[in-house]
Amino acid sequence: MSVLSDLKTEMKSKPTGVFCPDVYRCEGYKNTKSDDVSLIRADGIYALFTLPEPYIYKNDLIVGSMRPYFTDVDEDTAKEVSAYMAKYPERGFLKNGDHFAPDYFAAVDLGIPGLIEKIDKSIKEHKERETFLSSMKKTLEALTGKLIKYAEKARELKFNFDYDIERLEKIAQNCEILTVSAPQTFEQGLQLVWMIHSCFVSESRYAMALGRIDRYLYPLYEEDIKNGLITDDYATELLSNTFLKICERRYTGGDDVVNICIGGVDDEGKCSVNGLSYCVLHAVRDVNLPGPNLSARITSDCPDKFLDECLKVIGTGLGYPALMNDEVNMAALLRKGYDIKDVRNYCMVGCIENFITGKQPPWVDGRFDPICFLEDIILKNDAETLDGISSMDEFMKIYEAKLAAGACEYVKAVNAMSYVSDPKNRTSPFLSCFCDFCIERGLDINTGGAKYPSVHGAVLMGIGTVSDCLSAIEKVVFIDKAAKLSDIALAIKHNYEGYEELRETVKAAPKYGNNDEFADKYAVWYTKTLSDMFDEYRTNDGGAIYTAMAANISNIHAGMILQATPDGRLAGKPLSDAASPTYGCDTRGVTSTLLSVSKPDYTRCACGTVVNQKFSPSAFEDGKREKLLSLIRVYFSRGGQEIQINSTSREVLIDAMEHPEKYPSLVVRVSGFSAIYITLAREVQEDILSRTQQQAL
Amino acid sequence: MTNLNVSCIQRFSTGDGPGIRTTVFLKGCNLKCPWCHNPENISPAPQTLCYNTGKKITYGKMMTADEIFDDVIEDIDFYRESGGGVTFSGGEPLLQSKNLSELAKALKDKGISVLVDTAGCVPWDNFEDVICCTDIFFYDYKTADEVLCKTVINADKALILSNLKRLIKENKTVHVRIPLIPGFNESAEECEKIIKDLTESGVKYVDLLPFHRLGSSKYEAMGLEYAYKNVTPPKKEDIEKIKSIYEKYFTVSIE
Repeated sequence: MSVLSDLKTEMKSKPTGVFCPDVYRCEGYKNTKSDDVSLIRADGIYALFTLPEPYIYKNDLIVGSMRPYFTDVDEDTAKEVSAYMAKYPERGFLKNGDHFAPDYFAAVDLGIPGLIEKIDKSIKEHKERETFLSSMKKTLEALTGKLIKYAEKARELKFNFDYDIERLEKIAQNCEILTVSAPQTFEQGLQLVWMIHSCFVSESRYAMALGRIDRYLYPLYEEDIKNGLITDDYATELLSNTFLKICERRYTGGDDVVNICIGGVDDEGKCSVNGLSYCVLHAVRDVNLPGPNLSARITSDCPDKFLDECLKVIGTGLGYPALMNDEVNMAALLRKGYDIKDVRNYCMVGCIENFITGKQPPWVDGRFDPICFLEDIILKNDAETLDGISSMDEFMKIYEAKLAAGACEYVKAVNAMSYVSDPKNRTSPFLSCFCDFCIERGLDINTGGAKYPSVHGAVLMGIGTVSDCLSAIEKVVFIDKAAKLSDIALAIKHNYEGYEELRETVKAAPKYGNNDEFADKYAVWYTKTLSDMFDEYRTNDGGAIYTAMAANISNIHAGMILQATPDGRLAGKPLSDAASPTYGCDTRGVTSTLLSVSKPDYTRCACGTVVNQKFSPSAFEDGKREKLLSLIRVYFSRGGQEIQINSTSREVLIDAMEHPEKYPSLVVRVSGFSAIYITLAREVQEDILSRTQQQAL
Repeated sequence: MTNLNVSCIQRFSTGDGPGIRTTVFLKGCNLKCPWCHNPENISPAPQTLCYNTGKKITYGKMMTADEIFDDVIEDIDFYRESGGGVTFSGGEPLLQSKNLSELAKALKDKGISVLVDTAGCVPWDNFEDVICCTDIFFYDYKTADEVLCKTVINADKALILSNLKRLIKENKTVHVRIPLIPGFNESAEECEKIIKDLTESGVKYVDLLPFHRLGSSKYEAMGLEYAYKNVTPPKKEDIEKIKSIYEKYFTVSIE
């Protein structure tokens, strides 16, 4: 533990200069002798990986730092860099540039020399694709060059008395062996993976997942444990030492979210929880910082002990791991036509996005807001038209037609965006080395190299708000006839000012999240209807449009620009969050909430959904945790897809708003990623606060 | 159709017995414990609590046994998975034992565990109404002192003790629950006196419930003065000390 906290202290000291890896990349562009764009890009990557002076922390066990990319950049250099970057633009998130889970299975299995050998073989088979394959090879040579530089640096630092000589020697040896062979030990395997990951970060790729680390490093771990080379404690220490460096960007003014996935099933579909799964879990606990975004794939046959250990870690206040219902996620992915073996090996990227490990282009998503189309109907029609709608069925038909048109427009827009520039120019030779079947086919990850086509996630906003609105309209307008639709339209236009009584009436209608079929049926409808609509469309290269309900905090932003809604929500207020009911509206307790929330068919949401629940810390005590465990088992057996649990008490959150200085490291989970509470805007804090706290007193 | 006077129904109650339980709080109590944390459940009449945050909650409505049954049965999957069930608390639920018996039987028939949380100061007949359908009794035992029992909480010690003995004789699972009230029953002598009564009765399980002040805001919302407003909860080490005394005789847990 002391190595870890010392490393934390070391990392906190800010480097001088600004984070600008592209300064190095541009050196490669400047000196290139190639005329092919992929080869030029490879030259840029070669310079990016090998030019900067490596940095090794005194408490590093596994090396690979972003510090070397901090540099002084004068105005002329900045201009030059942006000119080069405009000429050779990166893809970025919206053009399938990051949010990717690399194929670390192959990397660990073959090592760099094995991957290069594979490329050489492919060159022989695809003479016509030699150029791109050579660019890939060059980037792997760059990776080798980086490892050599780190080894040299470690040897050089031996003369510095602040460093532990034995540790440096180990680092040097680990780096060296990786340049000539596949990793032979768990430690070397982890070093290889981390070095590759660091390279992605230096390429300015965000949210690159480590994926199923308890699977691809397991053979090495198992062997080392068997031979007495490592203990679980040491494996955990190596992992925490590595995971802490994910937070390096946060400490230095940046940010990253790296998804790590544990649990799930093996190639045969059996629960694959193993000793390493626990080491990863404990390492994330020990790091105790947002950044390593831990996801646990929970199968119905996973041992209670595993789920209980997950709850213990959540109960420390960290909020990790997010618990994923493996059966639902796999069924959702199978619907999309992937091979069963690939489905079993899925993981998550970013917050919760399901991803076929190393076999599809990087993830892209966008926001689709169904509430806008409901507002359109209500606000853009005159009273006569509105009151001419004679039944709820008729209203729903109008709404569905609007949504269908909206979905069509949405897909057009996202497809146009991902192909605004020539895809041939934006190649990714390094990234392509870690995606099946780019090497075999000699093609770039985004132009036919990946086994599967690209997918897009349509993040559906406000399932709770929409369900509550429809429930209110049905109850108040069509059943009770307590008001006309045009009355509601008027009230909304006036933000319910002067319509307080009507507001109380619509608020009294049944709400989603209380196990009340009247409102819940609209959530079921919402999930099915919207998924059906998006199933009609494809991405440019023929992939699926997934649906998701995982809004991060964008439910707040979406709400800010919206007028009042028929559920009684006032203008500017947040929409319901992710797949959760509207906050404060699920009043019957957590069991009712989960019964409601497990009603929609989430096997239609291939991207994933997020349900946030908060429990007081006492719920995580010994003897109480088993109740949470049963709660989750029932929720998952009924088809719930995901649950993210917070263990912070309301009192603490209120106090932290007033006295942030007392809570510098208070971590809360906001749909899919953790955040340091006191750094959040007040309205976000209030949003967290107003999510129903399921008190277990 | 029998009616029950229900204060509120609370789901995922984790402190009211084994597993995941739904607690049905019945309104009305015949004791007057000054530290009571559920003051809204003492009077049988409906009451509205007005909190200073502007929030208003009304407690107390008549529900039929069927209505309550339909409400609590929704969570049956949770009860089965966790070994939980339904808890009747209060107030004093056994004041409504006649009407409770039908509901308890319906739950029992459905295979749902029934727990009754009582202070025991009711005629034995009231126990008879529910005894066949109740799996576990939580049985408050607040003091062994006959006089304190009468003057402080308005209870009849002899009745409480004789009901307890009889319940255990009937082979019912009984957890005796002792609230640890500062200055009332947590001295070593008080503990010994309680222990004497309990061992004589054949009690096996004792749950200690350290005093807390979470109910203060309820008194305020009812416009009442809370006598225990300024009483601080017992310290962890004091609780452990008391626990070690009871542990010599019983299986003890702290709730």
